[in-house]
Amino acid sequence: MKRILIQDTTGNLKKEKRDLHISFSTQIRDRGLTDQVQVVMASDLGVYDRGLAVKVLPEGVIYGGVELKHIPDIIEKTIVKGEKVEELVVERKNKQMRIVLRHCGVVDPESFEDYVAHDGYQGLAKALEMGPEKVIEEMKKSGLRGRGGAGFPTWLKWNLTRGVKGDEKFIICNGDEGDPGAYMDRSVLEGDPHSVIEGMMIGAIAVGATRGFFYIRAEYPLAVERVQKAIDQCYAKGILGKNIFATGFSFDIEIRLGAGAFVCGEETALIASIEGLRGYPRPRPPFPSVKGLWGKPTVINNVETLANVAYILLHGGESFGRVGTEGSKGTKVFALTGKVRNSGLVEVPMGITLREIVFDIGGGVLDNRQIKAIQTGGPSGGVIPEQFFDAPVGYEELQKLGSIMGSGGMIVMDENDCMVDISKFYLGFCVDESCGKCAPCRVGGTQMLHILNQISEGKGQIEDLKKLSEIAHAMQKASLCGLGQTAPNPVLSTLKYFEKEYLAHVLDKKCPSGKCASLVTYLITKESCTGCGMCARVCPANAITGNRQEKYTIDPDKCISCGQCYEVCKFGAVLRQ
Amino acid sequence: MGISKEDLYKMKDETLGKRPGNWIRVGYSTCGIAAGADEVFRILEEEAKTRKLDVKIQKCGCLGLCSAEPLVEVNVEGVPHVFYGKVTKDAAHKIMDEHVCQKRLVENHIYEI
Ligand SMILES: Cc1cc2nc3c(=O)[nH]c(=O)nc-3n(C[C@H](O)[C@H](O)[C@H](O)COP(=O)(O)O)c2cc1C
Ligand code: SF4
Repeated sequence: MKRILIQDTTGNLKKEKRDLHISFSTQIRDRGLTDQVQVVMASDLGVYDRGLAVKVLPEGVIYGGVELKHIPDIIEKTIVKGEKVEELVVERKNKQMRIVLRHCGVVDPESFEDYVAHDGYQGLAKALEMGPEKVIEEMKKSGLRGRGGAGFPTWLKWNLTRGVKGDEKFIICNGDEGDPGAYMDRSVLEGDPHSVIEGMMIGAIAVGATRGFFYIRAEYPLAVERVQKAIDQCYAKGILGKNIFATGFSFDIEIRLGAGAFVCGEETALIASIEGLRGYPRPRPPFPSVKGLWGKPTVINNVETLANVAYILLHGGESFGRVGTEGSKGTKVFALTGKVRNSGLVEVPMGITLREIVFDIGGGVLDNRQIKAIQTGGPSGGVIPEQFFDAPVGYEELQKLGSIMGSGGMIVMDENDCMVDISKFYLGFCVDESCGKCAPCRVGGTQMLHILNQISEGKGQIEDLKKLSEIAHAMQKASLCGLGQTAPNPVLSTLKYFEKEYLAHVLDKKCPSGKCASLVTYLITKESCTGCGMCARVCPANAITGNRQEKYTIDPDKCISCGQCYEVCKFGAVLRQ
Repeated sequence: MGISKEDLYKMKDETLGKRPGNWIRVGYSTCGIAAGADEVFRILEEEAKTRKLDVKIQKCGCLGLCSAEPLVEVNVEGVPHVFYGKVTKDAAHKIMDEHVCQKRLVENHIYEI
C-alpha cells in the first residue's frame, strides 16, 4: 500500500491543503486505487517554505509547491508507475549529525542491556587495553575541545592532570547547566546516562583517577534518577567497583546535587560546593588539575564533552577529527529556542552556518516575521545580527563576531525583541547570580543594570552608553571568575550591533520594538474597533472597558503596557505608539 | 567477579537477538513527560495488553524535537515507519487502533523529521 502525506510548509495554506487532500482522494477513487493508496494529512515533513509538500511512501520522494493541477501527474507517474515527477522534487538534506545524541531517543535509558546492544562499554574495554598514553593520543587526534564553554582541548587537560603526582585523583562531570535556555546536558543525562559514565571512566583511565563525581543540579530530578540507576546497574554488573574487566582498574562514582546557583558551574566554585563549602570561586592558578577537590589533582569535564569520549575511542580519533573545521572538531548540540518554528535540540557538525541551523533545521522564524539576531552563549555570550548568519559555527568563529559558542543555548530573536531589554535580561541574571566575592562583578554589574533600567524607562543620557562600556571593560579585566568576566558580553555585543536601538531609547525616548513598557502606549481606534471585546477579556489590569455599541477604550492610568490587547486584536484596532 | 569483555559481546548479541519486530517508542525525558508522555505511554501499554497486540512499548530519551512532544515512534510491519508528534490521549488510542490494527497512518500527527 502506498501513502501520500500532505503538508502545508508555510503555515497559512489551510484551505489549499484541504482541497489538495480532497482532490487526491477523489481522483484516487475514480481510478479505482482506493485500496492501494492512503492519503494522510501530516504535520511536518521537514521541508519549509515550499508551499504544499507531498511525500509518497514507501518511496520517500518529496514534492514541493504542489498544486491541484499536479495531482494527475503524481498519481500516474509516482503511484502507478513508481517514477518521479522530476520538476517537483525537493531534496531534503539532513544537516544534523548525531554523535553526542547518538543514543538519545534510541536506547532505553534505564536499560543496561539496551546500551550494551548499542556497543556500550566497548570504548571502555578498548581504553583499558590501550592504556593511558594511547587514550590521550587518540583524544589528541580527535581534536575534541571542552563543551562547557571555554573550549579547552580535552586531551591537554587530561595530559596535564596525568602529569601531576598525587596519591589520589578525581574526575568530575559538570552537570550544573545553569544558563537560561540551555538543556542539552539534561537531555543527554536523561536520555543516555551510560555514555556519560563510560566517558568519565575512560577519562579516569587516562588521568589515573579512582573516584568520580557527577555534579548535577537538584532541579534535574529525572536526570539524577536515571544516572543513579545507571550507576547501580554498573555496580551490579561489575563495570564499576574493583578490578573492572579483570584488569586491576578500580573506579567508584557518586552523585552530588547542586542547589542551582549559576556560579557553582564554575569549576573552582563547583569543587568548593562538593567539599561542602559555600560555592565561592577562588583564583586560578593553581588549576584544579594541580590542586582540585580536597587539594588533589582533579579533572572537570562537561557532560557533552564526556558523551563524545566513548564514541571517539570506538571509532577512532581520526574519524571524529574529520568532522568540523580546522580549530573546532566534531559536532555541537544546541538548544534552539526563541522565535523559531521547531524549537528543540539540534546536533550539527561544526562549520555549519547559523543560517542553516535556523532555516533548514529550525524551519525558519515563527509566524514568518523578520529575523533580527541570534543569541548564543547565554549570559556569557552575545547577539549575532542577521548579516553574519553565513558565518560558520566554531569556537574562534563565534568569538570573532563578539559572541561565544558557550554551552549551547541558541535563541532566535525577531523584530519584536528589543536589544536593550535582552541585555537587561542577561545582565540581570548575572547580577542575581553573582556570588558577591569580588567588587568588579558585584558593584559593576549592579551599576550597569541600573543604567540599563534607566535607559529602558526613557531616563537615559547619551553619556550612559560610554559609561556602560567603561564599566564593562573594567569588569572583564578585573573580575575574579568567568561569571563577572563575561557578564558584560551581552551588553557590549548589543551595543556594537544595535547602537541605533539604544539611541532611540536615549534620544527619542522610544522603544522601536515596543517591548520597554515605559516607552510605549496603547490606544484603541474607534474606526477599526468592532466591539468584539477580546481585548477587555485578556487585559490583566482591567484597564479596558466598553461594549459593542460604544466600542472599547483603554484607561491609560490603569494600563501596564503589557501589549496583550495588541497581540489579540484581529482587526488592527489597537495601536502601539 | 564482574563481567568480562566477552560477556559484553555476548550480551550485545543476545539483546539484539531478542529485539522485538514490532515496537513503539515514547520519548520519555523531561520535555516529553511535561507534555504528557506518561499518559500516552500508559494508554499505549493498556491497549497493547487488552487487545493482545504483538507490539512492544518502550521508553527512550529525547530525540530533540521538543516542540512536538509527546513524540512517539512506531515501527510495525506492513506500515511505513513514522514519528507521531503532539500525541494526545485521543491520538494514542488512534495509533493503536488505526496504525497498529488497521495498518493505516493516523491523520494530522505525522512528523517526518
Ligand atoms: C559562571 C560559570 C558557569 C559555568 N557553568 C558551567 C556549566 O553549567 N556546565 C559546564 O560544563 N561548565 C560550566 N562552566 C565552565 C566550567 O568552569 C569548566 O570550564 C567546564 O566544566 C570544563 O569542562 P570542559 O573542558 O569539558 O568544557 C561555567 C563557568 C563559569 C565561569
Ligand atoms: S566575578 Fe562575580 S561571581 Fe565571580 S567571584 Fe567575583 S563576584 Fe563572584
